Amino acid sequence: MFRVAMPRLDPGMQSGKIVEWLKKEGDRVEKDVPIVRIEGEKTTFEVNSPGPGVVRKFLFEPGMDVQVGQTIAFVGEPNEPLPVEAEAPATLEPVVAQEAFVAPPVVSRVAESSASPVARKMAREAGIDISKIRGSGPGGRIVREDIQRAIEQMKAQPVVAAVSAQGARAVPVARTIKLAGKRKATAERLMYGFHTTVPVTITMEARMEAVLEQRRKLHSQTGEEISITAYVVKAAAKALEDHQIINSSLEGDELRIYGDINVAVAINTPDGLVAPVIPQTNRRSLSEVSRDIRELTERAVQNKLTVSDLTGGTFTVSNLGGYGVDLFAPVINPPQCAILGFGRTSERPIVVEKQVRAASVTTLSLVFDHRIVDGVPAAQYLQRVKELLEDPKKLE
Amino acid sequence: MSSRIEPVPYTDYAKHGLTKDTLLSMLRKMIEIRRFEERVERLFLQEGALIGPSHLYLGEEAVAAGAVGALNENDLITSTYRGHGHAIAKGVPMKPLMAELFGKSTGTCKGLGGSMHVAIYPEKGSMYATAIVGSGIPIATGVGLALQREGKQRVAMTFFGDGATNTGAFHEGINLASVWKVPVIFVCENNMYAMSTRADYAVAAESVASRAQAYKMRSMVADGNDSVSVYLAAKEAIDAARNGQGPTLLECMTYKLHGHGVYDKGEYRPKEEIEAWLKRDPINGLEARLLKANLATQSDFEKIEKEVAAEVEESVTFARASPVLPFDQLAKYVYVR
Amino acid sequence: MPELTYADALREALREEMLRDPRVVLMGEEIGVFEGVYKVTRGLLKEFGPERVRDTPISEAAIAGAAVGAALGGLKPVAEIMYMDFVTICLDQIATNAAKMHFMSGGKLKVPFVLRTQYSLGRVHGAQHSQFFPSIFFQVPGLKVVLPSTPYDAKGLLKAAIREDNPVVFIESGMLYRIKGPVPEGEYVVPLGQCDVKKTGSDITIVAVSRTVTEALAAAMKLEEEGITADVIDPRTIQPLDLATILESVRKTGRLIIASDDVKCGGIGSEIAARVAEEAFDTLDAPILRVASPDMPIPFSPTLEQAYMPNAQKIIEAAKKLIG
Repeated sequence: MFRVAMPRLDPGMQSGKIVEWLKKEGDRVEKDVPIVRIEGEKTTFEVNSPGPGVVRKFLFEPGMDVQVGQTIAFVGEPNEPLPVEAEAPATLEPVVAQEAFVAPPVVSRVAESSASPVARKMAREAGIDISKIRGSGPGGRIVREDIQRAIEQMKAQPVVAAVSAQGARAVPVARTIKLAGKRKATAERLMYGFHTTVPVTITMEARMEAVLEQRRKLHSQTGEEISITAYVVKAAAKALEDHQIINSSLEGDELRIYGDINVAVAINTPDGLVAPVIPQTNRRSLSEVSRDIRELTERAVQNKLTVSDLTGGTFTVSNLGGYGVDLFAPVINPPQCAILGFGRTSERPIVVEKQVRAASVTTLSLVFDHRIVDGVPAAQYLQRVKELLEDPKKLE
Repeated sequence: MSSRIEPVPYTDYAKHGLTKDTLLSMLRKMIEIRRFEERVERLFLQEGALIGPSHLYLGEEAVAAGAVGALNENDLITSTYRGHGHAIAKGVPMKPLMAELFGKSTGTCKGLGGSMHVAIYPEKGSMYATAIVGSGIPIATGVGLALQREGKQRVAMTFFGDGATNTGAFHEGINLASVWKVPVIFVCENNMYAMSTRADYAVAAESVASRAQAYKMRSMVADGNDSVSVYLAAKEAIDAARNGQGPTLLECMTYKLHGHGVYDKGEYRPKEEIEAWLKRDPINGLEARLLKANLATQSDFEKIEKEVAAEVEESVTFARASPVLPFDQLAKYVYVR
Repeated sequence: MPELTYADALREALREEMLRDPRVVLMGEEIGVFEGVYKVTRGLLKEFGPERVRDTPISEAAIAGAAVGAALGGLKPVAEIMYMDFVTICLDQIATNAAKMHFMSGGKLKVPFVLRTQYSLGRVHGAQHSQFFPSIFFQVPGLKVVLPSTPYDAKGLLKAAIREDNPVVFIESGMLYRIKGPVPEGEYVVPLGQCDVKKTGSDITIVAVSRTVTEALAAAMKLEEEGITADVIDPRTIQPLDLATILESVRKTGRLIIASDDVKCGGIGSEIAARVAEEAFDTLDAPILRVASPDMPIPFSPTLEQAYMPNAQKIIEAAKKLIG
């Protein structure tokens, strides 16, 4: 005998209303067939049969309010005796609906070490886990100063924001993958960057005929394959020479304009996205850049990138063109100022002297941190990148 | 110092310069007090309409009517928790008196004082009523000081019971009053009992009046159940005060019809004693003497009774219909702003 | 600016108000012929005569009661109770009568008088002549309670108190009568119900009343040598209390010490601590500490009395406890 209970459709729900029985007593049902419509605090939801059988009994009329956890119906075989209706069980077993995923709160209560009221408040507001703080006040009390210090330190570290899902619709969870390792680190880093930078995206279309022609020529002459990505990376690096403001990062109140131009290239691996760095990219030749990218990709896929490979980037280039994407606005790689994304090079209609023609175009998207640089200088930078791509002779 | 506990013979009224008007107004005052208090008693005991401690003036009407009757309108009095009688005698209207007993905002104290402070009505010169036995006496000395400095020959009169004369405040207040020679008449309503404690047990003196001697103060005794006796004694004391001859302790021998508070039947008192005093009812007594002196007729009395009854009933209706102060209005009465 | 003693400043206040308003009348024990046990009323009997400067018998209930009655009758009496210990004798007049008369009469009665008294803690007067319990008056709404700590405040506050329409309990400190301080010439009044910030700092807030104000200032100066700075706040009037000024300081410092001469249990500090905890909990960086007299009668023996009394050292120790 299967017991159908009033589910908890959202975290605050105490009781639900039976809207409508979708089957009649005596109907035979399969597992997961909807048998009743319930109205919770915010939404209406269908509850499915927990198993195959005959709908033996409905315990409430439509319109009635029932406490979460209470039995509302039984599904079983006709010859099975109906159990005595139990009160709401001690532990709620939502037979069909999974409880909505609620992330644990970030700040835990301090039981042992004492903290002053103002310290607690500041920690709460800054999202700092007070149990991790060492107190410098009398008797080891955590005081205002300690939290202030922690807030300063936190600026260098990323913060996990509490993500709480208010389940409007309870979705069955097929599989749980714990966020860990690289994935977790990436998530944390990007979240931090997203929350501190002020990203603005500008796009330009670049005519790629010259690049394509140069590639074709080179390949036919020497057999060398230079990827489009290499062209974009080199162009991005060279353009930074004249637009150094973009080759920078903001640390607190300090804008650091880097001396080297080290472009990181976003590479997709089975383990996730990595962005290894080509040191002094602007000084590498186009061939060298292309080989660097290939080599880094190989090592990335084999999980053999070193710390040195992954640090020191001052600008990032990301390409999703190989997957059919025309245009996308990537997330700035913190603490860099900007990232250049580009999609596929494709034949598109363009207008030249009032005539529609076909041309090879790629869309460049520059996402820049508006705290550091305004729209006009960013556009000027992108203009230069476009210029270099449209006339690749200028790249060397 | 005379010790008179007999009514003034009506044949002496003319000699004392007492006019029909004065006497009838004294009677009227006594009837007002009596009927008002009887109505209050019924509201408490039979109708359950009133709540809290209340100390009725039933039986003592002659003291208030006589003593206050001898004052000028702009003289001042202070009273105690047994103050309904003094208030009425001083001219406080019945409507705000009754409303105060009901705790309404139209009461003399806006419902914030209650029965024990109902006599507070400075508009008519009734300056204070205290619930603490004896504490009014030094205050009266202070009021007297203010009047003395004012120099307009106004006097102050204060009322208290026999029990109060045993408190420290009484002795301190009387002493200081004598030292400063303030124009105050200290009227002791000796009704023989302080709650259930007999005065002849608790007052360690020949009489209350004799205590004045210890403070070099003038004292007098009057028949507290004869308003004329009280009136004449009070007049003498008032004149002395007005003329800068200082304070007087005026002891009025009287009796309560019932007990200390409205719920107290006073059954600790010997039956014969109660009966003997009932025979000396101040209202009946004055009415009888006025009739004998041909200064009034039965129909005069009936007229007064009728008018007073209507006035009393009107005050109950008024009180019932009045609102109570909203609670959030109260804070502003803590301080003078 | 000229300097006056606390006692002389008080006398100037009395004198100026008596000249200004003929309704002002003084009464109390030894205030006339003897010129006051602390000489506060020196020369006043001579200048104003026995009608306005009245020596009374030893009868606190009568003194206070007469003040109440005289105020009721239109005068502006200033009654003196020689020692705060005697206030309990006339507590009925002040607490049960005067404080309540305005409210109890639905706003009809006004009782404008000042009850001056002093406490002699520190002068080796023993348990019955040294008591200080101003917080008793917290429990009696309707009174105003004033405690000056300097000659400047003493004069200005007494003038304000005399001009008040409400009954005022004006508590002087026996230890302060002889201290000197600047008192401007010319007319000035210090309003009731306002704190005075006597020193500013940012690490702790020290609220102190009456005699302990000097102790608090001494403590603050010493703490400064160690780099700890304090706001020293003198409420001057404790009823009604200017809580806003105290809160503003606590929000800045996060740490509060309340220093007063009354015993710790139920003293002024208890009320101020409770109010601050209620209103500014989230700004507190440390518990609220009270530096007060211990919960026992005052010992006579001079060194024992010294050990009993709140002082700068105890305040400094409290500050160290807060900062760690």
